[in-house]
Amino acid sequence: MAVKIVTDSLSDITDDLAQELGITVVPLYVRFGGEVFRDRVEITTEQFYHRLVHGTDFPTTTQPPSGDFLEVYKKLAGETDEILVITVSSKLSGTYESALQARGMMEGKCRIEVIDSQTVAMGLGLIVISTAKVAKGGANLDELADFARQAKERSHAIMSFDTLKYLAKGGRIGKAQALLGAMLSVKPILTVKDGEVVPLTRVRSRAAGIDYLYNFVAGFSNIEELAVEHATTPQEADELVERLGSLFPKERIYRSTVSPVLGTHTGPHVLSVSVLEAPTS
Amino acid sequence: MKKVGSLGGQDLREMFNAATSWLEKSSADIDALNVFPVPDGDTGTNMLLTMRSTLEEAYRAPDHSASAVAQAMAKGALMGARGNSGVILAQILRGLAQGLEKKETFTAVDLANALEQSSAMAYKGISTPVEGTMLTVIKDVAAAVKAQVSSDAGDLISVMEAAVKAAGESVARTPQLLQVLREAGVVDAGGQGLYVILDGALRYLRGEMEQMRFRKPQIIVTDMHATKLPQMIAADEVPYGYCTEFLLKGEKLNTDKIRSKLEKKGESLIVVGDDCAVRIHIHTLDPGEVISYATSLGTLHQVSIRNMDEQHQDFLEMQRDRVPAMDTAIVAVASGDGLTDVFTSLGATAIVPGGQTMNPSTKELLQAVESVPSDKVILLPNNKNIVAAANQVQSLTKKTIEVVPTTTIPQGVAAILAFDYEADLPTNVQLMRKAMSAVKSVEICRAVRATKIGGLEIKKKQPIGFLDGELVAAGESCIDVLNQVLAKLDLGKVEVVTIYYGADTKPAEAEEVADSIRERYPQLEIEVVRGGQPHYSYIVSIE
Repeated sequence: MAVKIVTDSLSDITDDLAQELGITVVPLYVRFGGEVFRDRVEITTEQFYHRLVHGTDFPTTTQPPSGDFLEVYKKLAGETDEILVITVSSKLSGTYESALQARGMMEGKCRIEVIDSQTVAMGLGLIVISTAKVAKGGANLDELADFARQAKERSHAIMSFDTLKYLAKGGRIGKAQALLGAMLSVKPILTVKDGEVVPLTRVRSRAAGIDYLYNFVAGFSNIEELAVEHATTPQEADELVERLGSLFPKERIYRSTVSPVLGTHTGPHVLSVSVLEAPTS
Repeated sequence: MKKVGSLGGQDLREMFNAATSWLEKSSADIDALNVFPVPDGDTGTNMLLTMRSTLEEAYRAPDHSASAVAQAMAKGALMGARGNSGVILAQILRGLAQGLEKKETFTAVDLANALEQSSAMAYKGISTPVEGTMLTVIKDVAAAVKAQVSSDAGDLISVMEAAVKAAGESVARTPQLLQVLREAGVVDAGGQGLYVILDGALRYLRGEMEQMRFRKPQIIVTDMHATKLPQMIAADEVPYGYCTEFLLKGEKLNTDKIRSKLEKKGESLIVVGDDCAVRIHIHTLDPGEVISYATSLGTLHQVSIRNMDEQHQDFLEMQRDRVPAMDTAIVAVASGDGLTDVFTSLGATAIVPGGQTMNPSTKELLQAVESVPSDKVILLPNNKNIVAAANQVQSLTKKTIEVVPTTTIPQGVAAILAFDYEADLPTNVQLMRKAMSAVKSVEICRAVRATKIGGLEIKKKQPIGFLDGELVAAGESCIDVLNQVLAKLDLGKVEVVTIYYGADTKPAEAEEVADSIRERYPQLEIEVVRGGQPHYSYIVSIE
């Protein structure tokens, strides 16, 4: 029986891809006032960003309760006896805790391994995708968990922002606070390091931000997987994919969108690039 | 949605129990915010210890009425209050208890009234109330709650929601009210603590205990940048003496009289309590005097006298651990308050005043380099005539110095913007050098004397324009000169034009200049920033 792979909606893995690779995605929740939506399931990214920009309520987000994971585990336990769960960084969300807690509630012989990816968005997505591909080849749970832990070290994600105000509002800003309050209009560029959001640098214009993302990718000599994501500017992301075509086969570049739950913290207009380096050896 | 009409004593206690656990999760973060009244970094801990004592007593309440529990809590808070923030918190709880007196249960309206008393009590305990602290936060909360019950008096949850929202906003405003917070780029620690307590109470009412286990309270951030490092703020303060705290028990104690007696003995004086127990907190140079006066009135309990210089050292240690992963400091030369703000907001650790016609000495640069808490320092001279002095610094210090030889302000800004927080020193120097060469600098000033340079006839006081240090234009007005300079450039690849206007330039004129460029080059992003620099009417960055 093949190992089943589970992740959360902050991986930004699209439905099609999840289906193709047999990945189960557990959604987080986004809440506008009294209305609660399952990330990407009950609210589309388009609806979400429209409301974020034009609405009056500021959204908040919540991790899936352990019950959501338990339900998924129980369902999958009918099909397999080994499950690998890879979650968003535990320093950014309590999702990892929920997944662990649910494991404690499981009865029966199904083995479950839960891994904290220490990253987010396609930085997480690419780890999951790559692990799911190996799972299809028939690896067992221990081998897959090892593979995923190594993939964590090879995964790099950076994001170009228009503003850090959403990140500050949601309380996830961490060390990137150093980039707040500039007296000039700047576009901050952040990355995720050791599970936390950290500042990289800032540029003066969107075009310079896109150049930075391009150059970031160009800095890798051996790329296994590549992903580009947008929030509200698909055209910019498409153009970036075209340019990246000179570095990596563009038909193999994963295109996705920044999920509503993540978008609550990043705001509109972000662009993100994630690289999974090929293993050395 | 869930509604709560009224609550009894047990719920009141459980609500504060949840609030205390919530506070515990962020007490270390709150400690790190603490810069006022003295940067000793213990506000979160003090508030937590005060809350613990509050709860212990709450469980000893004689019955489960709201009144009895609130009274017990107030007593516990007074007995166990620690530090400035703890004592103010105790006053807030005392006001709450007064407001809930004789109530078996309480409603939204009762809570609003009680919080009003809390606010009044908090101010009453302090001899010199300062705005931008917990006091302001409780005042704003009381006002917001009052407004909320006037529109919807039926639901305690919506009242607490109003309280938490008001507290958050009030905390975010504290740096605007209190300069030391503004300089440190932090919000008030006590105010933040109060926000967390209210937020914890709200989450209890909403039934979110489960979620609270895995989450942390939000620390409100200010979008004002720090203009001073915590170390520097701490260094600005005068010698402290001793933080002296104790509980005085006796009979017929008169808080007003004690307060007026102690007022001249020190700073940050707080005297709160009733006629048989009074808590006293003071920062004094002579604790002996305070203690012997108090001994004449009754018995002393929980006496704590701490050397504040030592506390202060601990604080510095703590801050050292907290400074972001920036082991490289940047020292920039700039003049004008606007340009100084621009550089500090972009991460410069220290600014050496100077520029055209006022070059700082190597010694001044050295002093700045020695003052920053980092062994690796990047120097941005930002002027052709200062580069040489900057290059001398390395031979005079043990620190590793790299000079990125910026000769104009726009080059300096481009260089500091390119700083990469994750890169090592050599990489950063490379990045910054590359960025500085990608920017064009235009400087416009008035000619000091009549002259003739490179085919240009220049009259005294006529506006003249430099492009990357070369005199290239003279004209009748600054706009005219700027347009002449811009005409020499290929603006096709340019994205952002930043105009820093000088101390003697009117903002309206700067806007006119910007508009005239916008008209001619609609594709450009134009930003106008007050530079406040002497000498140059305009410094323009083209990148």
